[in-house]
Amino acid sequence: MPEFICQLKQYRAEKGLTQQQLADLVHVRRETIMRLEKAQYNPSLKLAIDISRAVEQPIEKLFIFD
Amino acid sequence: MNKKSMFRWLMAGGVILLIVLLSCAYSVFENESRLVAPMDFSTYQFRVKDLPMLISIPLLIVYILALIVRLFLALKQQRLQDQPGYTRRVDPRFGLFGFFGFLGFLGFYSYASQRVIFPFFFFVFFGFFGFYYEGKMSGTLADEMFEEHRVKAQLKAYKVGMSLIFAILWLVGFGLFNRQLDYVAIYLTIGISLAYAVTLFLSEYLLYRYEHQE
Repeated sequence: MPEFICQLKQYRAEKGLTQQQLADLVHVRRETIMRLEKAQYNPSLKLAIDISRAVEQPIEKLFIFD
Repeated sequence: MNKKSMFRWLMAGGVILLIVLLSCAYSVFENESRLVAPMDFSTYQFRVKDLPMLISIPLLIVYILALIVRLFLALKQQRLQDQPGYTRRVDPRFGLFGFFGFLGFLGFYSYASQRVIFPFFFFVFFGFFGFYYEGKMSGTLADEMFEEHRVKAQLKAYKVGMSLIFAILWLVGFGLFNRQLDYVAIYLTIGISLAYAVTLFLSEYLLYRYEHQE
């Protein structure tokens, strides 16, 4: 799995969403969001786009690959 | 199946079992063990004393068939209730079926006494211990991470299973139990049954591990 930095937690907090609320918005489990924020899970393109729309931030800002 | 219905089925099963046991006892003590001990059916002639056994055996068969039909209907009904996108609902107690795997050891007795190796196949049931882990993940939203873990777990389980089967076949191919075909048959039945059980179990166990690792 490629290593990356995930900034989702910061932008989610700015948007005032809990992990569960974001999970419900993008139709995944809270555990998936939790692992995403710890950069332990590499999301699909569809999920990355759904999340970027939910928090209204571009994907490049949410997931930073070296 | 609700509790009332289950109680009825259990009661009916208990009554039928009692009837069969009483019929067997009657046959053994009053009817020369006819229809209990092995007999030559080509020369069979009806006797009135055979009636208890002739009634109780079909009754038991009908009960077992009805139970199987009821189980299939219950499973179908449960599948209809399952929400799409969620894992199926399984009671973790189904994992107890894994203990049927120990019936495989009966094969050593049946081979020694009758040269029958079929019971070794029961080792497959050890794989049913995996139902315990599947039950613990019942009704989970199967999102993309879950699906990824499922595929990863299955792939690893199949790899382990295939490696075991390869090792088993390799040993046979290189002459383990050479010229003793009975032992080869027993070895293959046990080996492949256990490899299958390991694959079944691991696919659920590893999925559970992947899902619950921090």
